[in-house]
Amino acid sequence: MDREKRKYDYLLILLSIAILLGAWIIFSQMNPKVFPTPLAAWERLVKLVERPVMKISIWGHIGISLQRVLIALAVATVLGVAFGLVTGWCPRIKAAFNPLFVALRPIPPIAWIPLIILWFGIGEFPKVLLVFIGAFFPIAQNTMAGVEMVDDMYLKVGKIYKANTWNMLRHIVFPASMPAIMAGIKISLSSGWMVVVAAEMLASKSGLGFLIIRGQESFDIALVLVGMVLIGLIGAAFSIVFTFIERWICPWMTK
Amino acid sequence: MENKDIKVQVKNLTKSFGDLLVLDDISFEIKKGEFVCIVGPTGCGKSTFLNLLTRLIPATKGEILLDGEPADPQKHSISFVFQEPSAFDWLTVQQNIEYGLKIKKRPPEEIKAQTDKIIQLLGLEEWREVYPKDLSVSMEQRVVIGRAFAVNPDLLLMDEPYGQMDIKMRYYLEDEVIRLWKATGSTVLFITHNLEEAVYLAERVLILSNKPAKLKAQIQVDLPRPRNVSDPKFIEIRKEITDMIKWW
Repeated sequence: MDREKRKYDYLLILLSIAILLGAWIIFSQMNPKVFPTPLAAWERLVKLVERPVMKISIWGHIGISLQRVLIALAVATVLGVAFGLVTGWCPRIKAAFNPLFVALRPIPPIAWIPLIILWFGIGEFPKVLLVFIGAFFPIAQNTMAGVEMVDDMYLKVGKIYKANTWNMLRHIVFPASMPAIMAGIKISLSSGWMVVVAAEMLASKSGLGFLIIRGQESFDIALVLVGMVLIGLIGAAFSIVFTFIERWICPWMTK
Repeated sequence: MENKDIKVQVKNLTKSFGDLLVLDDISFEIKKGEFVCIVGPTGCGKSTFLNLLTRLIPATKGEILLDGEPADPQKHSISFVFQEPSAFDWLTVQQNIEYGLKIKKRPPEEIKAQTDKIIQLLGLEEWREVYPKDLSVSMEQRVVIGRAFAVNPDLLLMDEPYGQMDIKMRYYLEDEVIRLWKATGSTVLFITHNLEEAVYLAERVLILSNKPAKLKAQIQVDLPRPRNVSDPKFIEIRKEITDMIKWW
């Protein structure tokens, strides 16, 4: 029964990909110059593998984008979880920081670009910083909410067993908040990926966002499409890999 | 009762929330290793009473002594089993049972020996690595009870732990808690509104009055174990307690 169901699911996935490719083929027939066919995009990808852009191979561009996202995400996870735990646990600290947090959170990371370029130039750090801004808020926000929603019963159990504050946070509050924290990291992963592409499109000589802008500037629309498809595929791969990591870190959450 | 045998002394315990008097001047003693049940009408303040004993809330007046010293959760080992199952979702059955021992920083060999003993007493060997989400409510409550007994508490407080179970499961779990109590020698204070359960489990039953709760009476239950609910003596004791409750 399960195998049958899985087979059916795979068929649906293949069907949705076929529909997308079909729509792409149909629309690209209308004006192949501004909307190259999937075959043209594929050929451009093969060419990209053979001939580097700005002396960086396609793998290099992918690697640079990934590196920016993963460094920023790692820092955002550590700081966001720490911030969320402390503010969610201690109402006084929340009272002090929350107004600032609430005011900064709605500012889109891209809105920081002019200031960040002005302050830090166009090197690696400002790009990682932008991704960090995009990734930090969802993680901090979700962690804070997760801590505030920890079942009072668990805290009572901790008190009865004389857990001190550190033990309470480490052994009860943190694991109990894990579902919310993981959801926050998942959101940050996709928002971080979006921000890195935007940052690379504005001020960069490497990365997938740069490839898209390069394609636009040289009217190489196939390159633009290759960049977009790669971004989509890597984003989807992120999501799949993260689901496995989540199952590994939080086996009790597996349905 | 010789003084050296007394584990818990409750002296003139009083609790009020603002003008509302909930517990009124309650005094009693519990011997080391004794199994005492507290019964009383719904809403008489039984749970408040347990919360006072664990110091989750402070008393308005009176004192609670453990081994002759004021009860202090930082010094004494007090365990609590709530009515609702409270196993940690993120820990396996084994890790849940180890939890209190680890928090109390007991030596690893003691943690292992005690956990194995409790798991064996509960017959949970096959469930060691299972998470609470895959357990039934009764099974989860058994894990919580195992966790409470594992730390060999000075005093184990149980607040209607079987309130959510059906009769068949209750009988099974009542036998199990007696087995754990005998094996660990813990002092147990068990709150229930089920009089049959109280007579089945307790060596002594304390009867609380309606709010503001006072200690109405103490009934010694000297029946051999395992107890038989259809034994005339059992029925007589249960009737005696029921009549006291009817008297209100």
